[in-house]
Amino acid sequence: MTTPGERSTLSFLPRWSIVWAMMRKDLAAYTRDRFYVLVTILALVVYVVLYWVLPSTVNESIEVGVHHSDLDSAFEQVTSSGTEGIEFTEFASEEELLSAIGANGEDGSLAIAISFPPDFVTQIAGGKDTTVKLYVDQDVPDEVRRAISGFVREFSLAIAGDTLPVTLPSEEKIILGVDRAGEQVSLREKLRPMIAFLVLMMETLALGSLVAVELHSRTLGALLVTPLRVLDFLTAKALFGTLLALSQAVFILLLVNGFASGAAPIFVALVLGALLVTGFGLISGSTGRDFLGMMLFGLLFMIPLAVPAVAVLFPGSTSLWVKIIPSYGLVEIIFRASSYQAGWRELMPFMAMLLGWCLAIFGVGLYILTRRVRTL
Amino acid sequence: MTDPAIRVDGLSFSYGDLLAVDNVSFEVAPGEILGFLGPNGAGKSTTIKVLTGQLTQTSGEATVLGMEVVSQRDEVQGRIGVSFEEKNLYENMSAKENLSFFASLFGIKGFDPNPLLKAVGLDGRGDERVSGFSKGMQQRLMVARSLVNDPEVLFLDEPTDGLDPVSSNAIRALITEQAERGVAVILTTHDMLEADKLSDRVAFINEGAIVALDTPEALKMKYGSRTVRLRFTEGDGVREEVVSLEEGNAGDALKAAVSNGDLATIHTEEATLEQIFIEITGRGLES
Repeated sequence: MTTPGERSTLSFLPRWSIVWAMMRKDLAAYTRDRFYVLVTILALVVYVVLYWVLPSTVNESIEVGVHHSDLDSAFEQVTSSGTEGIEFTEFASEEELLSAIGANGEDGSLAIAISFPPDFVTQIAGGKDTTVKLYVDQDVPDEVRRAISGFVREFSLAIAGDTLPVTLPSEEKIILGVDRAGEQVSLREKLRPMIAFLVLMMETLALGSLVAVELHSRTLGALLVTPLRVLDFLTAKALFGTLLALSQAVFILLLVNGFASGAAPIFVALVLGALLVTGFGLISGSTGRDFLGMMLFGLLFMIPLAVPAVAVLFPGSTSLWVKIIPSYGLVEIIFRASSYQAGWRELMPFMAMLLGWCLAIFGVGLYILTRRVRTL
Repeated sequence: MTDPAIRVDGLSFSYGDLLAVDNVSFEVAPGEILGFLGPNGAGKSTTIKVLTGQLTQTSGEATVLGMEVVSQRDEVQGRIGVSFEEKNLYENMSAKENLSFFASLFGIKGFDPNPLLKAVGLDGRGDERVSGFSKGMQQRLMVARSLVNDPEVLFLDEPTDGLDPVSSNAIRALITEQAERGVAVILTTHDMLEADKLSDRVAFINEGAIVALDTPEALKMKYGSRTVRLRFTEGDGVREEVVSLEEGNAGDALKAAVSNGDLATIHTEEATLEQIFIEITGRGLES
């Protein structure tokens, strides 16, 4: 029994003929909104082009400039035996080296340079201290700087005829998981989760707009004096939003080779992701007082939700708190399944996390819209 | 005796502490047009919302076509038509699409919108988007929309608002036609002349309560005073006299006027519904 002032919603199953009629109407409204059609087409084109323009491989070598005057044979001997991933370019003078790294205020072609003193070999061989200058561009990450410093120390030990006080196993490296050496994840692949996320969120705004228009143009009032019930309305909006977001996300992932591996978990993640963003769409559509308010609400959700996808693009920025963002599970599943061929077992924690958020946000969205409809 | 199409008994509704509808009772017979008159905030819209299943009353009973609105909302809403005062059409759809969409909500198969569009004077405009319609055209489409399910009870809120006289007359004719085929109509309007012309009975609502309910003629007889306005030529000007027919010497006054060679015109006058409303409630309809 409803309380006074509320609409009665006594039935618990939607009537599919009415839901279908509502969805057809919403599809017509969506396709006739030139703004959304234009934005959708543009986004699809731009994202796909961007994906295919980005490099598909990763340049794993670091180019290092070197100047030395008395260690030709020693340098060649050391560098030829264990400097995988570093390409050395030798310079005849320190001035040329400094010019190449841009130390003279010009744009340099190198980011890292090493300058050995003229008496390097003599000093090292005599067991005396000496100084090697290491030049690094301000943008060079700290871990790379430390690696180059380590190389210089190791190089010095080799010149002095010493060995590292460390015993490495015969295979030198123990690889955990699949050895991705030589086939690291390219920027293109890292962009894939971001593309899927952006397409899903774009449809959040579209659904939010459809809901907001229904509320503010008072057409909902006209609907609710027909046999349509609140449940039919909610079902139609939720289904339409989910299918709209899902279809576009699947379409764009097909275009960016997103289903080449792990197609099943990725598809399930997209279904859950579509439900998740539909929840956000229902919230923004119900709470915004007008179209602008709805857009602002949508953007309010969009920015923090984009953080996990950004974290994939720039792994250094990943923090623990990123893992509690609702979109984290979605992004990780797409990334790990498509780029690392992760299986169901490995993806299950992310799937569970995504499902939990999906149920929570979708539930909140339905609740807010229901309240809004009942108090019209 | 025919069962009433609408029966309201002791209906009350409160928005929190605010009593919007206060123990209202009335009936509307099939084929009858009941004018619902009252100023803004008087409780008209709230009563209509309860009768159309949009709100659940605080107390009292409301039945439409013999069905209790609260417990048989779906059945009731399948057999009523509602036209709102505010324009709430899908503006990016055509007139035909608007009507067809609402027909689909009623489960009507093979719906043809053309006869309805013709009935409201929109034939030939059915394929145009509603966003390009004038306010009057949208109003006519709203009335047409309320008829897609061939309703047995019609709730019309200001159906001729913003219409030109020709369109207004067309809509009034349509309402009368619906009543003649047995549809019960509740007509909410600020236009007292319209209520007077169309309504079989009118209900005056003030502060949530029905303060008068009768035929327009009976209300005029009960509350109004019948007068005759006489105009005499006087030099280059005109002199007016008003004779009340309620007074005992009215006959003598009229005889004297007729025998006066300067009598130019003679008009009988009766109280308007608005005057009667003011007399009963002490306030105007626009307040």
